[in-house]
Amino acid sequence: MDRRIFQLENDAQRSRLAGWLDQRKGTLMGWEYSEKTRQIFMDAVHGKPGTHLGEVEDPDGIGEHGSIVCGDALRFTFRVDRHPSDPLKDVITEARYMTFGCTSAIAASEALCSIIEEGSYTPVEALKITNEDIVSYLEGLPQQKIHCSVMGAEALHEAVFDWAERRGVDLKDAGFEAPESDEDEGRIVCQCLSLSEPYIRRKVQELNLRTIPEITNAIKAGGACESCHQAPGGLQDILDDIWGPSETEPPSKPEEESESTPETLSPFAFMKKIEQVIDEDIRPRLKADGGDIELVDIKDRIVYCRLLGACAGCPGASTTLKLMVEQTLKNRVHKDVRVIAV
Amino acid sequence: MDKPIYLDNNATTPIAPQVASTMRPYLEHLYFNPSSMYDAAAQVARAMSEARNHVRELIGGVPANEITFTSCATESNNAAIFGAVRALPKKRHIVTTAVEHPAVIEPCRDLARRGWSVDFLPVDRQGRLDSAEFVRALRTDTLLVTVMHGNNETGVIFPIEELARITKETNPEILFHTDATQTVGKIPVDLSEELQNVDMLTFSAHKLHGPKGIGALFARRGTPLRPLLLGGHQERGRRGGTENVAGIVGMGEACRLAGENLGASERVRAQRDRLQAELEERIPWLEVNGAEAERLPNALSVACHCIEGESILAQLDAEGVHASSGSACTSGSLEPSHVLKAMGLPFTALHGSVRFSLSRYTTEAEIERVIEIFPPIVEALRRISPYWDTEKASPRADVLHGQSCLP
Repeated sequence: MDRRIFQLENDAQRSRLAGWLDQRKGTLMGWEYSEKTRQIFMDAVHGKPGTHLGEVEDPDGIGEHGSIVCGDALRFTFRVDRHPSDPLKDVITEARYMTFGCTSAIAASEALCSIIEEGSYTPVEALKITNEDIVSYLEGLPQQKIHCSVMGAEALHEAVFDWAERRGVDLKDAGFEAPESDEDEGRIVCQCLSLSEPYIRRKVQELNLRTIPEITNAIKAGGACESCHQAPGGLQDILDDIWGPSETEPPSKPEEESESTPETLSPFAFMKKIEQVIDEDIRPRLKADGGDIELVDIKDRIVYCRLLGACAGCPGASTTLKLMVEQTLKNRVHKDVRVIAV
Repeated sequence: MDKPIYLDNNATTPIAPQVASTMRPYLEHLYFNPSSMYDAAAQVARAMSEARNHVRELIGGVPANEITFTSCATESNNAAIFGAVRALPKKRHIVTTAVEHPAVIEPCRDLARRGWSVDFLPVDRQGRLDSAEFVRALRTDTLLVTVMHGNNETGVIFPIEELARITKETNPEILFHTDATQTVGKIPVDLSEELQNVDMLTFSAHKLHGPKGIGALFARRGTPLRPLLLGGHQERGRRGGTENVAGIVGMGEACRLAGENLGASERVRAQRDRLQAELEERIPWLEVNGAEAERLPNALSVACHCIEGESILAQLDAEGVHASSGSACTSGSLEPSHVLKAMGLPFTALHGSVRFSLSRYTTEAEIERVIEIFPPIVEALRRISPYWDTEKASPRADVLHGQSCLP
């Protein structure tokens, strides 16, 4: 296996990469990523020494966020230097991540681990790290990619709660509310990305999100089919409930078109008769030649069918067959019958 | 680094040098309005007429007055769909598919919101349409059927000949439109023979080594169609606005060259097949989208389980390979490709798609290079992915068993 991609083995490769980075001047894959974001991403995927890919063995805290369905996910683990008597004085010494996601998701994971290791934080201090710290470490993220940093902060918080449980620490004593494990469970608002109402409400308040685009950029909710934007109990309703009603009116619903179907002579009887003639007369004749017929649909006096078997596929033969079927049905069912081969 | 390896030809193609040089005089000294009444202007009009001939020759030698030049395939699709709807205001039913290009899906969605009844037909796991489903959706009072010829993402080709025949046999008044942007110039398209039941067909120049900003709408004589752009008498009143002369001349030359080079598509197909076979051999858990369907010769859409397409593209780009992806992170939306979703691609691979699209300029050495660099990129990202079991070289067991969220 060619391992060249994993490590930059020589100067030529390094300078080639540097040249590429220079030349791109801020754009990557159409997204405006900062120089730092791109550098961190490339270092991470190339496994440069000092990067944080992986999992801590026997970790003291595990936190996870996202899902493969949503398009990005992060598994974050850390180890602490345990204080002999006071767990609150534990210091995080090692942080690692496994990430499924785009350039900025991987860069944000790497940034999270660097921030934590560089700061020698206690887990409780680490709780103060927010998604904005990750964004500023990356020297900015495109609006549409803010959710990548939120994912990092969420996974970190979860890992700290996990540590607290393992170490028997009551975070309330340290001034933090540990969320109930099922706090975010509840009615799903954004079906596409499986995001619940309690979760969306919590993030709207925490991150001071005021509009639907802000919600989507931060936590992805409503970013796919968009049907939850104006639906009853949807994102706009949640925003209105938290911040007071907005002035914009939801778009008016399209008017129901009434469909007028022309009255036809008993379609049911017509269909039964067609089926009967096919079963009794046409199919036995086709089967004798190694063929068969499958009724697909009937509209007005048009009969759609598949002609199968020995003769199917030969254009001349299928035209003849079609005419035979049509003539039989005309004679025995209705003179206006037309047959269309499917 | 060497010249970039361009494998994104379904997005756009490099302009053929001969096309650019044919256009040049019309950007410089032959700037006259073809409608003007002096000989220099008539010379420009003649060049346009010659270009129109090249365009019509490529699609089966249809009459020149059945070709309308537009600004792009998107405009052509809008003109076909809205033009038909406005010409037949009493009919309210449209049949299309779930995998159309946005230039067709969005006009159809717009009509659906405004009260038209629109059927978006599903496709199977290979991206194919079921003709029985098509028949069941069709109504005798259907206004328009619009079904793409070749899919931009997977390259899957729909049986337009058969669908158009069924449509016209059901009721000759139903209009049949096909978006052939990905097929014209890549495979034979003959509106006088096998596609004789097609009323309207759209394509653009920049997908066949022509310039951007110029497209065409074929509309068979007698097709009820209201113009989208009202203005002067240009294009026989079907599309007002002073003609994009350089673009039209470029499109003509591009079509002429495409016709001459149709034979190259077998070489392109062989390169594509080789790329596909080598990647399948070297990369475990790789989906080839539409592998069993009839496909465009130049398109290869793969999906890698457990990793995300944008991070693949970023690394391909660093190696000088230009490709594209249907992953959510490469689009403005957060939703992965509607085409791959409609095909029922497993959720573990839905975000990991990469599309390679070749052209007649693609070389063996370029394919060789992609075969060499792509597998290690996939492996590197899988080592980072929490869903991938590196030791077993497969997705983690709990992911495979349908657990989509991390435990």
